[in-house]
Amino acid sequence: MQVRQYLIRRLMLLPLIMLGVSIIVFTLTRFTGSPVGIYATPNMTPDEVAALEARYRLDEPIPVQYAYWLGGVLRGDLGWSGVSVAPVTEVIGLKMTATLELALAAALIAILGGIALGTIAGVRRNRGPDHAARFFAIAGASTPTFWFGLLLLIPFYLWLDWFPLGRSTPEIFDSITHPTGLYTLDSLLNGNVSAFWDAIRHLILPAVVLAFGAMAIIVRMMRSSMVETMSEEYVDAARAKGLPEREVVKKHARRNAFVPTATVIGLSFGFLLQGAVAVELIFRWPGLGSWVTSAILSGDQATIMAYVLVTALIFMLVNLAVDIAYAYLDRRVVLGG
Amino acid sequence: MAHDALLRVEGLTVDFQTSRGLARAVDDVSFSIKRGETLALAGETGCGKSVTARSILRLVPQPPGIYSAGSIYFQGIEESEPLDVLEASEHQVRALRGDRIAMVFQDPSKALNPALTIGRQLGEVFAEHREASVFESAGLGTRSRGASRYLRHRGGLVRRTAYRFTHPSATKRLTEALDERVLQALADTGVPNPRKVMTSYPHELSGGMKQRVMIAQALACDPDLLIADEPTTALDVTIQARILDLLSELQERKGTAILYITHDLSLVRQIADRLAVMYAGRIAEIGDCRDVLSAPLHPYTQGLMNAIPRAETKRGELAAIPGTVPVLIDAPRQCHFVSRCAWAGKACTTHIPGESHPLPDRLVSCLRFESAAAVGAAPGDMPQQYASAEVTT
Amino acid sequence: MTAVMDGQSSSIDPNTDPRRSASSVRWARRLEVFREVLRNPLTVIGFVIIILFLLMAIFAPLLVGANEPDPYQSPRDWANIDVPPGEAGHVLGTDSTGGDVLYGIVWGSRLSLQLSLTVVISTLVIGTIVGSVAAMRGGRVDNFLMRIVDVFLAIPELIFALAIAAVLGPSFRNIILALAVVFWVKYARIIRGEIIRVKQTDYVAAAKVVGDSTWNVYRKDVLPNAITPMVVQATLDMGNVVLIGAALSYIGLAQAGLTEWGAMVSAGQSGILAGQWWVSTFAGLAILLWALAFNLVGDGLRDVLDPKTEGR
Repeated sequence: MQVRQYLIRRLMLLPLIMLGVSIIVFTLTRFTGSPVGIYATPNMTPDEVAALEARYRLDEPIPVQYAYWLGGVLRGDLGWSGVSVAPVTEVIGLKMTATLELALAAALIAILGGIALGTIAGVRRNRGPDHAARFFAIAGASTPTFWFGLLLLIPFYLWLDWFPLGRSTPEIFDSITHPTGLYTLDSLLNGNVSAFWDAIRHLILPAVVLAFGAMAIIVRMMRSSMVETMSEEYVDAARAKGLPEREVVKKHARRNAFVPTATVIGLSFGFLLQGAVAVELIFRWPGLGSWVTSAILSGDQATIMAYVLVTALIFMLVNLAVDIAYAYLDRRVVLGG
Repeated sequence: MAHDALLRVEGLTVDFQTSRGLARAVDDVSFSIKRGETLALAGETGCGKSVTARSILRLVPQPPGIYSAGSIYFQGIEESEPLDVLEASEHQVRALRGDRIAMVFQDPSKALNPALTIGRQLGEVFAEHREASVFESAGLGTRSRGASRYLRHRGGLVRRTAYRFTHPSATKRLTEALDERVLQALADTGVPNPRKVMTSYPHELSGGMKQRVMIAQALACDPDLLIADEPTTALDVTIQARILDLLSELQERKGTAILYITHDLSLVRQIADRLAVMYAGRIAEIGDCRDVLSAPLHPYTQGLMNAIPRAETKRGELAAIPGTVPVLIDAPRQCHFVSRCAWAGKACTTHIPGESHPLPDRLVSCLRFESAAAVGAAPGDMPQQYASAEVTT
Repeated sequence: MTAVMDGQSSSIDPNTDPRRSASSVRWARRLEVFREVLRNPLTVIGFVIIILFLLMAIFAPLLVGANEPDPYQSPRDWANIDVPPGEAGHVLGTDSTGGDVLYGIVWGSRLSLQLSLTVVISTLVIGTIVGSVAAMRGGRVDNFLMRIVDVFLAIPELIFALAIAAVLGPSFRNIILALAVVFWVKYARIIRGEIIRVKQTDYVAAAKVVGDSTWNVYRKDVLPNAITPMVVQATLDMGNVVLIGAALSYIGLAQAGLTEWGAMVSAGQSGILAGQWWVSTFAGLAILLWALAFNLVGDGLRDVLDPKTEGR
């Protein structure tokens, strides 16, 4: 089937693109200071540093250096993280799951909220709910995420003290096992309600702040897509069959409106990953974002580069997943290159 | 009301709110359709025939459309009183749609939902209107809410899968009962290999096949009235003939009345018993099809008949009606055809023609058939009166 | 027998009247588009805000005197630190180093203007060139360039710019550079798509048949049509660039104490816990208004220029 061919092609394209990303990352590392800086730990002797230089062939021409660097990456050697005082690969797993949990929670809010609001706005075009939704969409696209986070912090954290900063209360966190690395999921798997509540309490505020911008994009797309489908002939044809309006909207209009929205959902995940940087900083969320911001402040290159690689990979995988869903939703799609 | 009049449209007036004002799409339109007969509603693009047709099912979206005046009476078999579609409740109208009155749309590529299989879309009609019968054939006595929801594909994927899990045999029989009906409907319209078509998506079928499917869908519940809105316009000429044959065959078999909307007069002769010609939102002429075509009375109809090239038409003599259809926003109270009419008199710009019956079973809306006294205008302002010896070249 | 009775004579449509020159018709059309755009009240609001910011940026030295030696560092009123708005002659208050918030906002608008104009113009140019070359040449060149675009698009914009700016060193200039490197891909893609689409139309084929050179076809037929989505994107990007730039300075990639709105939000945030809300709030508000204005105008343009995306 054409769909399968397309997906296979996309799957094969992925490593090529990641290769391209790695080239960019490598080029960036050659911009400042000594290239060995990524690998050097603070207490190394000059001999050890020299040994490192030899190992990574840092006296050889650039393409060779790239090959060795890439080899190291694929073997799991992403250098030494100055801010975490440990090899990057040791720390990155934990950071990644923290950010993923935040991003997934925000994605859930953004997608469900966005689709619901967008549908209502599209169906009730140019009336009350539509204007509200469009206002929301523009506001969301114009509001700086970091500022919005601060704005929400003031009432909810400072005054009401409803939501704490950080990801968890250490005692509760340590009391359960962590099979998946996602605090919310793990607490459910442990059957520990107070841990689950602890997880949610910490997660809500940053997730909502993060979701705001992404939801705005989704509302806007869903609305315009609903407006378009509602004016299609098959929607009228469905009504002519005697189907109740709600069913016409949900089964006929919305189902087709999902299709263009799916691509936007993939893109908005990129928005979420970006926003996570500021949000994690503000809410002291121990994920990739706050990790890289400390790395920037201390010039820790290894962390920054690993961050770029990992984020790009996540983003690509999410987009691929979205494309699969897209192909399933729109049978008609002649998926060209 | 005559006992065999199935549909009676009286004084239907439909306006549309536009940024430039209120546009009148349908202006005081009246006609009726008897059981089993085919009425062709002909006119050029923009004359209001589609809006009229959709009004019968009350499909015109109510902003920006407004049903300003008139009634549409539909006489079902069981009811003793005809129902005014425009005044009926939402529930009553929905019961009519797809069941007693069905519609075939112009472009089957656009009128079928691309995301659903043919079987799903046809099944919807049965699930909505023949639920009891489907349950009966499935051998399920009571119609539980869960089963009903399953049949209508409501409640979301999760719920449905769960229901299928918990009621495997019931759901299987329901699906089979529904499929059976769908297959029957498809077979009735001469669709080859109905099972394959049932599991196909619209884009996998040809234009002619899609239109067949649409017709099958419309006739699924044996409606009393079928509204066909230019069903062959989007198709090749060769397929056109087949679809027309199909329609007349089905009509004969099931006794369905058909309201056939078209802009192509050459088709009308083949399928219609009676013909109604519309212009700029008004009815120009109604009568027996062959009579109207051979001896048109209204100047517009005459112009149309002249414009059809015939074998004898010499080269360079293609006649077109000069002028264009007027825009109907804040239209003056006059005959709308006046700017293009060869016979127009001054009274035509100040009076709206009423309904005249110059012949039995013929209706014309033209001042040529009315007397100055009846209209209330000066005799000198009236257009040249119609003389029955007039013959159009 | 079919006498011709012409009721009204139609007035000649100015857009198709052959007596007018091509360029005057084009300008008339542009004016019409402009008027159509202004019909939307939200778009007008956006325009007004933009003009206000523009005036603020241009006349900054007149509104609040430039600080020596570096106007982009706020003058420190050490006697009046953490002053709330309205007190001690500071309309919007001061921050924890005595920097006047109003000064920061006004001079920050200059930086925002500089940032957005530089990035948008340079990325437009680069993107147009790359995209045009790719689309006009086609084949292997196109493939190669588009793979590069794909790679660039794989990294989310802020993160990419962040990495570049971090590697080059924290400074406002580097933020501009980083954003320019990241943002051009969008334009390349747009113009490539448009060119390919237009290439397949009949009027281009007709032009080629007539014998127009490739460059002429490009200039007269392809480019004018491709401009529309580019203009919309450029307008939106004027806002987006400032949003992302502010985020980068917020994280710390600009010089310390810079009167850049993002940096100001960051500077003011420790004060929030102590109840000093004004620094971060006003700075953030400035960013919001800037982005909002360009979003409103961009949306308004899109509604008018691209009939495919639904209007009102």
